[in-house]
Amino acid sequence: MREEVRHIQQMLANEVYIADAGIATALYLSMALGKPLLVEGPAGVGKTEIAKALAHALDTKLIRLQCYEGLDATTALYEWNYPKQLLHLKLEESSSASEAEKEAAIFSEAFLLKRPLLQAITEHERAPVLLIDEIDRSDEEFEAFLLEILSDFQVTIPEIGTIKATHRPHVVLTSNRSRDLSDALRRRCLYHWIDYPSLDKELEIVRAKVPTIGQVLSQRLTTIMQRTRTMGLSKIPGVAETLDWANALVALQATELNDEIMAETIGCFLKDEADVATFKATQIATD
Amino acid sequence: MEIENLVTFCRALRERGLSVTPAEVVTAATVLQVIDTKDRDEVFLSLRSVLTTSIDDFPVFAELFEAFWNRSPRKLIERDSGTTVRARNVSPPKGLAFFLENWSASVRAGAAPVKVPGASDTASRAHKDFTDFSHEELEQISQLARRIVKRLASKPSRRWQPVARGHHRVNLRRSLRLSLKTGGELIELAYKRRRAKRTKLVVICDVSGSMDMYSRLLLQFVYGLQNSFAKVESFVFATTLSRITGELKNKTYRRALDRLASNVQGWSGGTRIGASLANFNVQWLRRIDKRTVVIILSDGWDTGEPEQLAHALSKLQERAGRLVWLNPLLGNSMYQPLTRGMQAALPFINVFAPAHDLASLRALEPHLVL
Repeated sequence: MREEVRHIQQMLANEVYIADAGIATALYLSMALGKPLLVEGPAGVGKTEIAKALAHALDTKLIRLQCYEGLDATTALYEWNYPKQLLHLKLEESSSASEAEKEAAIFSEAFLLKRPLLQAITEHERAPVLLIDEIDRSDEEFEAFLLEILSDFQVTIPEIGTIKATHRPHVVLTSNRSRDLSDALRRRCLYHWIDYPSLDKELEIVRAKVPTIGQVLSQRLTTIMQRTRTMGLSKIPGVAETLDWANALVALQATELNDEIMAETIGCFLKDEADVATFKATQIATD
Repeated sequence: MEIENLVTFCRALRERGLSVTPAEVVTAATVLQVIDTKDRDEVFLSLRSVLTTSIDDFPVFAELFEAFWNRSPRKLIERDSGTTVRARNVSPPKGLAFFLENWSASVRAGAAPVKVPGASDTASRAHKDFTDFSHEELEQISQLARRIVKRLASKPSRRWQPVARGHHRVNLRRSLRLSLKTGGELIELAYKRRRAKRTKLVVICDVSGSMDMYSRLLLQFVYGLQNSFAKVESFVFATTLSRITGELKNKTYRRALDRLASNVQGWSGGTRIGASLANFNVQWLRRIDKRTVVIILSDGWDTGEPEQLAHALSKLQERAGRLVWLNPLLGNSMYQPLTRGMQAALPFINVFAPAHDLASLRALEPHLVL
């Protein structure tokens, strides 16, 4: 294994993010080639966490853009500060400045609201980590717009001119596959898939993130979670739910998983009435 | 892996349907310079992140990588294309696959009428059963599909568009621009309103033996929908579920059918609606929302457990804007939905309608608009 890849793995481990060789390699290549990294996988497996851990490890800023349907340039890139512009015009009413001068004044950087994408490009200290979260929730129009930014890392604002990235941000995109992303976007990115972790890896994560949990309890809890994922539930719990549950057990000072504790904490990882019923039926059948 | 091998490897991937363009090959070559090329796992992981664009590509990638790491590339390509050809000839086409392969031929020759349940009770053209439709008539189905698609574009979306005036939201950006003309005094206001938004369609089509004649109709219909810029996702199932959106998109109908015939596997006599829908829910339920109309086309002959079907449907209906079940057998006035599967399904269906001729499809139009 390349030294850099191991180094990234170690760096992330210091941030309590258990990265396998796959994700470490993908991050290394993403940085070495300056390409965005597209991470896909089911909900709650730690896709977003990657970007957070990376930013921490690199000791740089994390700039997050949460996507949703209808997200457009004014929320993602920049917007003019209208109230401030209006106020400025009012204050300048009696001044002798010409119309052109007034216009130049209110369409200058002082009146510009930088949204995440512009922030990421103009960050001057060092390259930030830009997290574009749940890109599948945005619509095709936004995806096309994003492609442009991701290919040149520059933005043209008609009133000001072209702004070039001072440092190329490390870009991580996440998707839950709720819709197909365009081929163009996929091809622009490196691709990585994160699945539910194996028993050993999940155990490692639980023990790293919730160090106060006992050996026996963590083993038992992880085994149940692994089994839960094969029950065909409508909402399959991810690692996030495992950690919620582990934290709840620690808070309740539980030492074993008896019926009472189970009943109190089952809501930590099952969020659907029918799933709870299925879980109980299967649990009895297998115990 | 050397550069020459890499190029052959990429070619092999492309032949198996991965979207590997010269740009990716160049990136892959760059990658090989910055990694430890003796570490098999590292080469595997690195090339996979560059040369695949979806988890769906992983199996093919793993298979070819395995072969490439161990064998001489030239042989691999030959061996590979050899097996594909053989596989196609060996497996005898059955069910829908058979129909698909003979589809275009039958259109040209004019398909022979086949007696099926749900046959028409009047002789008029609109009521002629789809079992003996000609090419022109199938074209009408496509037209109908396009018309429906137009009607689907009617809901407000989250995006704005500028408008001249009226009771809409003020468009500050434009208003401010306008105010500059009057020295910064806001006299004339600009407005904006929500853009129209399209309803999404999800079509899940039963292609088991008993449905063959109607699958032909619905696939034509779905093809029409799919290629009119609507958001349509399409699936087929007999005993297992396959997504066919990609197969139907942006191709001539002929090519679309060719692809379907070669890509979709697992056609057989039985129908497992419950299991197929449960499978749908696991993989695709996230795509369903209140703006989605889900259409299931099936005759309801399920060999699985009715409880499973009921459970799957209740989940689906809960999330969808509307659940439409088209049953071609309803076209027959003697038919009553008494099968166990159909009985279990009925409580969760919003619209239960026939789909055995053009008239029944026309009648469907209002149900598809939310």
